[in-house]
Amino acid sequence: MGMIIKIAFRNIGRHKRRTVLSALTIAAGLIVFICMDSMLTGVDRMSIDNLINLSSGALKIQTADYDKDKESFPLNLTLDSSLAPLAAALAQNKRVSHVTRRTQFLGQLSNYDETVPVVGTVVDPAADTLVFGLKPYLTGSYFGADNSREIIIGRQLAQDLGVGVGDNITLYALTKYDSRNADVFKIVGVLSTADPGINHSGVFMTFAAANDFLDLENSTTELDVAVARTGSLPAFSAETRDIQKHLQADFPSLRVNSFLDLGAGVMELTHAKRMSGFIIMGIILVIAVVGIFNTVFMSVYERIREIGVLRAHGMKPQEISAMFVLEGVITGLLGSVLGCVLGSLLNLLLVTKGIPMEKVAGSIATASYGIAGNVYGEWNVAATVVVFVLGIAVATVAGILPARRASKIPVTEALRFN
Amino acid sequence: MPLLDIRNVKKEYRKGDKSVTALSGVNLAIEKGEFLSIVGPSGSGKSTLLNIVGCLDTPTSGSVLYNGRELGGLSEQQLSDYRRDNIAFIFQSYNLIPVLTVRENVELPLVIERKYSKAEMAQKALAVIESVGLGGMADRLPKELSGGQEQRVAIARALVKDPLVVLADEPTANLDSTTAEDVISIMQRMNTERATTFVFSTHDLRMERHAKRIITLRDGAIEKDERRQ
Repeated sequence: MGMIIKIAFRNIGRHKRRTVLSALTIAAGLIVFICMDSMLTGVDRMSIDNLINLSSGALKIQTADYDKDKESFPLNLTLDSSLAPLAAALAQNKRVSHVTRRTQFLGQLSNYDETVPVVGTVVDPAADTLVFGLKPYLTGSYFGADNSREIIIGRQLAQDLGVGVGDNITLYALTKYDSRNADVFKIVGVLSTADPGINHSGVFMTFAAANDFLDLENSTTELDVAVARTGSLPAFSAETRDIQKHLQADFPSLRVNSFLDLGAGVMELTHAKRMSGFIIMGIILVIAVVGIFNTVFMSVYERIREIGVLRAHGMKPQEISAMFVLEGVITGLLGSVLGCVLGSLLNLLLVTKGIPMEKVAGSIATASYGIAGNVYGEWNVAATVVVFVLGIAVATVAGILPARRASKIPVTEALRFN
Repeated sequence: MPLLDIRNVKKEYRKGDKSVTALSGVNLAIEKGEFLSIVGPSGSGKSTLLNIVGCLDTPTSGSVLYNGRELGGLSEQQLSDYRRDNIAFIFQSYNLIPVLTVRENVELPLVIERKYSKAEMAQKALAVIESVGLGGMADRLPKELSGGQEQRVAIARALVKDPLVVLADEPTANLDSTTAEDVISIMQRMNTERATTFVFSTHDLRMERHAKRIITLRDGAIEKDERRQ
């Protein structure tokens, strides 16, 4: 075996350019995959974090009837009768870190020239910041102590209506008792988030304001729950699912949705992104297979006489085959090591510096992914190990066919070959 | 009992639709220690006969016996083992492995044999390299050698495992006359000192002159079998 390894190594060294080219093809596949996986994982994390932070919380609890009719944001399907037992159940669960209540409604915002449909969200200003993370995206200020005439609106909405922080604007809506109401509110803050829904049609007000404006009487249509986040996203997802399952069992008349249900679209997009990553890597690895197949085949072709000599001296066909397969394996190993090292170095930049996605992909693309600002890569050691092994496996497979061909050449033909 | 007994060996090739007869019923007995030359014009069947004797090729009919053992019907693995244990080859164009040094090339048959330790292989290889006059060149690569030196390495490689038979196909064809004489004398010396049987095909009259027995082939059949003292 020692001599076979020696011959294989030296032959690889003899055709440096060809070997380097094949190894680089594999390395390129691995680099693309490592960086792509890192960025996709980063985008996924950011999308899901934004989903939880901006709109869904870890869990969202509504009545089952509300859930069925949620597109119309009915103000009469409230949680009020279940709030006390729900609060008690959630307080007992140590994994639940914070709870807040919200009520959503449909309305229209008008500057007298233009009227834009909006989705209003009534919040408990103190508790809301513990479950949702809107404040970092806010220009202006959050709700003050006297907030009964204050609203916060989305950036795009403000731009569409030509208003900003400090301006007054009229809000129209149906009250809880289906009577029309209009009132003037002062814009205290403008939100620029990664959630296009908030940016384009989001209006936030406090219960103090809504009690008066919507005749709300502190009615709550949803309870939003924050779950303490420890460990990886899959672990967090599993934990959230577990709490969801128990709550749903305890309160069958309610509908408990997790961020996984509410972000089904994001999850589908995540899956699609992963698939596209695998497809791209697959294409590059197919190119690598062809490259290595060609390299080993050329090597076989150039050394047919050598194969004849070795066979004449009694080397067995499988040993000849092993020698050429080994050349494929060594090339694959070189490519995999190179790919993992260069891929990891490049990923270090992605993890520490990130990519300004809006500049790279445009604001529409980033909005559809629910992301904003710099997107940072993530380390995925398991994926790196898998592609390292895959790189070698691909090279081995690519080497097998020409190696088998080499072992089957009749000795007399091989010795006559010029 | 002859070392090699070739009985009524025929070899036919298919060339397109035609059948070409390379050997037509050759009978030949080769004793241990012979220095035998196979001569004849191109296409007379010299190389085919050598290939069959060396188990590189199989006859269409007839049989080859080595020390009384019939070689027909052996599997590819068994033929590999037979070659490994009994036969060595010297080729017209040397056929050294270009990525291996002189010593590694010479060690190659021993590596394939798997009977010796690393140290024993190195010792045997260096001794035979010395005996063909290439002492001090053990660490050179084939590309650093002249044609004559390469053929000496090929001879060393053939002799390192002390084979009973060395088959050489036109071993001096690519060498100048002085180098060819050197190579012939080395082969003769090995034949005398080690009683190694040499069977070689040649067009080279100098080689023919040194042979103790000359088989002349024509159209795939033995035309003449001459023995010399």
